[in-house]
Amino acid sequence: MKVVTGVVGNDIHVVANRLIDISLEERGFEVFNLGVNTYLEEFMDAVIETDADVLLISSLNGEAEGWCRDLQILKNQYDFRDVVFMIGGNLGVGEMDPEALVPKFQNYGFDLVFHQIDLNEGLDRLEAFLEAR
Amino acid sequence: MNKLYIDIGSTYFKVAQNGVIDQYFRDFNKNILDDLSSKCADVISRYDKKDIYICSSANGGLSTLIIGLTNSFSLKYAINIAFNSGINIIDTVLYPKIESEPVPSEMIDVVIVVGGIDSVEKVFDEKLLAYLEKVKYQNIVYVGTQKNRDFLEKNLENAVILENIISNDLKICEEGLKKYLTDLYQADIVGKEDIKQLYEITDNQIFSTPYIVNRSLPQINERLDVANPFIVVDIGGATTDIHYSRDLVNDNILTESGYDRLVFKKLGVYKSRESLVHTAKNNEFVYELLEHLNVTENILEEQSEKATRILMQLAIFLVLYKVSKHHGDYVELNLDILNSIVLTGGITKVLNQEEVDDIILFFYKKILHFHHAPVILLDRNYEIWTYGIKE
Ligand code: B12
Repeated sequence: MKVVTGVVGNDIHVVANRLIDISLEERGFEVFNLGVNTYLEEFMDAVIETDADVLLISSLNGEAEGWCRDLQILKNQYDFRDVVFMIGGNLGVGEMDPEALVPKFQNYGFDLVFHQIDLNEGLDRLEAFLEAR
Repeated sequence: MNKLYIDIGSTYFKVAQNGVIDQYFRDFNKNILDDLSSKCADVISRYDKKDIYICSSANGGLSTLIIGLTNSFSLKYAINIAFNSGINIIDTVLYPKIESEPVPSEMIDVVIVVGGIDSVEKVFDEKLLAYLEKVKYQNIVYVGTQKNRDFLEKNLENAVILENIISNDLKICEEGLKKYLTDLYQADIVGKEDIKQLYEITDNQIFSTPYIVNRSLPQINERLDVANPFIVVDIGGATTDIHYSRDLVNDNILTESGYDRLVFKKLGVYKSRESLVHTAKNNEFVYELLEHLNVTENILEEQSEKATRILMQLAIFLVLYKVSKHHGDYVELNLDILNSIVLTGGITKVLNQEEVDDIILFFYKKILHFHHAPVILLDRNYEIWTYGIKE
């Protein structure tokens, strides 16, 4: 399975990105890591060029909403068939209520949304999601 | 024994010997060899064929149409390689939208098709063939996923298949395509009857001028008083070229040479004057600039020496604007960290240092909000190309 990952927008928090790269490899995924400072269009283009199965975006600095709300528009511009769209990290500023955040990002077009949730738990749920399909 | 260097431009010849460069206006009623002979036959006769080196930018260059799968990878990489190979006209087609993309009406010298890393299957299909059916082109080169090669080979008779320009980790691999395009450009220049005749006076291979200038860049700061990072802006009769070091770009593309080139085909001062004026009129800062220069927009319609000077100043402004973060069409250069700007080409014959300094300072103040501008050097003798042509 191919996964495209990276940190969205003007976000330079790189530590989680490295961990995500390593963890995905350990779980047997083929990883395309675009690193920090990546725009949504670049993520989508990387999914197309690699024919990836999963797009895993992380965002730590609280700007996720601004950078990701056009996901649905971009999804409509290409036939992404059954790509899984996933996002995690600090999706809002401060604590925020996951009850409100999660549906919001699902509305933008993400299948899996993890606000301040540990990486391993998130990846377990990704694998379960892929399995269920 | 000394060597003789000749550069054939679209408006004039430059002939260099012993560090002295002479220039002669081209006479378009004569072919290049006759024109050259009538102006400097005795100089040429003093040199052995093996000591004469020639480069040329006299033909307009090759045109290309690039069909790519995405903007961020396929098209971006292919555009970058094409520019660096001296290919001028670029039209691009985003493959997922190919059915609604317009078809260029002019003859295309080379079509480039690219998309997908090697493990990806079925990127290109009948839609590509249907589109190409409508395009008039001479060459076609495929540099996309390996798994689609058979389809292209089977359906497009003369397709040249090269190594994928997108590596398995989504990085750029430029060598194969760059070599192919450079050779094609080279063959085009040398294939022109006019240029072929020049082999009567030289034993050495004739190169394209942009290739030679690009090759000279690593030597520039040894020879001229410039500090890294710098750019070379070549404003000539037909086109404007910017050569820059890769340190000035943040696009994560790593190329071997360390220097890239960008061509603005429609920003020449003589042969593409109309489109220069058009670009100027559409720039939101140009009126302020004209005011700063104490002229009105009517000057753009005039045919006078003063109008030419103003146009040249505009060309400098527009070309910097086009690569600044305010525009960033193809390539965005980090002009904030620039230490020197070297100007070369016809422009250095017309503008003086003060006029050039004035316009660049205006740009840095107005657009980048700086108080000062980089150090500006005029390559008045048009020496730069001679560094690259010397073996
Ligand atoms: C180190 C750090 C920095 C360093 C970054 C260095 C670098 N290059 O990485 C520096 C000093 C540069 C920095 C800058 C800023 N930072 Co900072 N930074 C931190 C800090 C202290 C640690 C981040 C870290 O590396 N953690 C270790 C990693 C392993 O944990 P993590 O990033 O949280 O990731 C885990 C999970 O979130 C999760 N995860 C991450 N992505 C994903 C994706 C999925 C799908 C899943 C399931 C899970 C997941 O997995 C990881 C492991 O469990 C945090 C505070 C904190 N203690 O978390 C603030 C923090 C992230 N920064 C913050 C801010 C605001 C900034 C700045 C805007 C500050 C400023 N005003 O300048 C800038 C932003 C710069 C930019 N353009 O991005 C805020 C974000 C606020 C928010 N979102 O609510 C935080 C939370 C601090 C705070 N409490 O205010 N920062």
